[in-house]
Amino acid sequence: MLGFIKKHKRSFFILFLFALMFWLLTVQVKSGRFSFMERPVLAVSGFFERTITAPFRFVGSVVDGYVVLVHTERENRRLKEELERLKLENSATNEILLENERLREALGFKKYYPPTSVVAQVIGGDLSPSSSTLTISKGSGDGIEKDMAVITPSGVIGRIQLALQGTAKVVLLSDPGSTIAVRVQRNREEGLLEGKISHCALKYVSYYADIQEGDLLITSGMDGLYPPGLPVATVVKVTRHEASAFQKVVAKPIVRFSRVEEVLVLRK
Amino acid sequence: MKPRVYLIILLLLIPIQASLFNPLSLGGIKPDLALALIYIIGLLAGPGEGALAGMGIGLLQDIGSAGLLGFAGFTRGLVGLLSGLLGRQVLNISSPSNIVFLVAFSLVEGVLTALFMQIFFGSVPFFRMFFSRMLPQALYTGLLGIILLRLINDKRMLGRIRRRTLKKEL
Repeated sequence: MLGFIKKHKRSFFILFLFALMFWLLTVQVKSGRFSFMERPVLAVSGFFERTITAPFRFVGSVVDGYVVLVHTERENRRLKEELERLKLENSATNEILLENERLREALGFKKYYPPTSVVAQVIGGDLSPSSSTLTISKGSGDGIEKDMAVITPSGVIGRIQLALQGTAKVVLLSDPGSTIAVRVQRNREEGLLEGKISHCALKYVSYYADIQEGDLLITSGMDGLYPPGLPVATVVKVTRHEASAFQKVVAKPIVRFSRVEEVLVLRK
Repeated sequence: MKPRVYLIILLLLIPIQASLFNPLSLGGIKPDLALALIYIIGLLAGPGEGALAGMGIGLLQDIGSAGLLGFAGFTRGLVGLLSGLLGRQVLNISSPSNIVFLVAFSLVEGVLTALFMQIFFGSVPFFRMFFSRMLPQALYTGLLGIILLRLINDKRMLGRIRRRTLKKEL
């Protein structure tokens, strides 16, 4: 017996490692993800990601800044027109904001402080088949902390999972460990949006709730992580089973994560 | 393969996969460099080394991502082991069947991921995930694998790797 084990010790060692991995998985399902060695790995990979992407970013900025001047005048005119339109819209919005503040004060509501933001560049993408993350070029040195919301002008991206000095890791809303409190913009129905890698699922929506394909889901702010009213996802499929008390709702994130180059991190 | 080759792979794989492969993304789908590399390591170095390399690379990917620690380590270890067995018994590095096996391994890993998520996190839109992510990614990874294998198939490089493996076995 001992001779057999000695002869196949390498095979037994590999078998032991497989069993160890499986045991690790089952333990984490119960007690949550281990963050073993996370900081050193992010520090090393973040350094290499910044180094590798730097020449590409430089070439990109040179191309954007000097070579592609052909459409500049037309673009400038279009932007000026858009600026005028936005100025008009902004003054109307400011009026509504002031009115809202006065009404909140009259009703004794807590004063609303809009969050400030930090702009960061995306320097890395997905790594593991079972999760969805991004690496960004700013970290704790710029005031970024764990669980801060990460957005683009189009909608929510996710939240900060880990922040180091010059890098941070963002968990995307399509990650299986991500949950966001959302509501349907059309009728204010609430639910929890869970990541499912390629899509998201809206959980705990009553069988009788009015959810339709094409509905826009926005943050409700109930989770305390994301400010309310930010666009998150669009409903793409609704299934009702009479045996279940809840509907099965599949949603697609508004933001296409593969095309994101810059993000805004909302400071608390 | 030499330990320093593995060290370089471990140091550079995550940054290359995470940043350099972004421009290769088609509709949000990127080829899986790590999987292709583990398949090739298994094919060249045998099941034992393939499994260990797969587990090491997978574990590093788990640590660098937000996933549960050990998932990619487990599935990629299996890929390394199976490709090593295939390399021993059936395939050689220049065989065109490699693309089929690499696509199949990538698909099996995708199905395992979906199964795992279904068991531990509930309700996975499997068919949507299969056609929108797993299948295109598997095909893309297969294509990348074939390109890598063509590069390695250069007789001088292959000869060098084989000599090293042979020396170790002797």
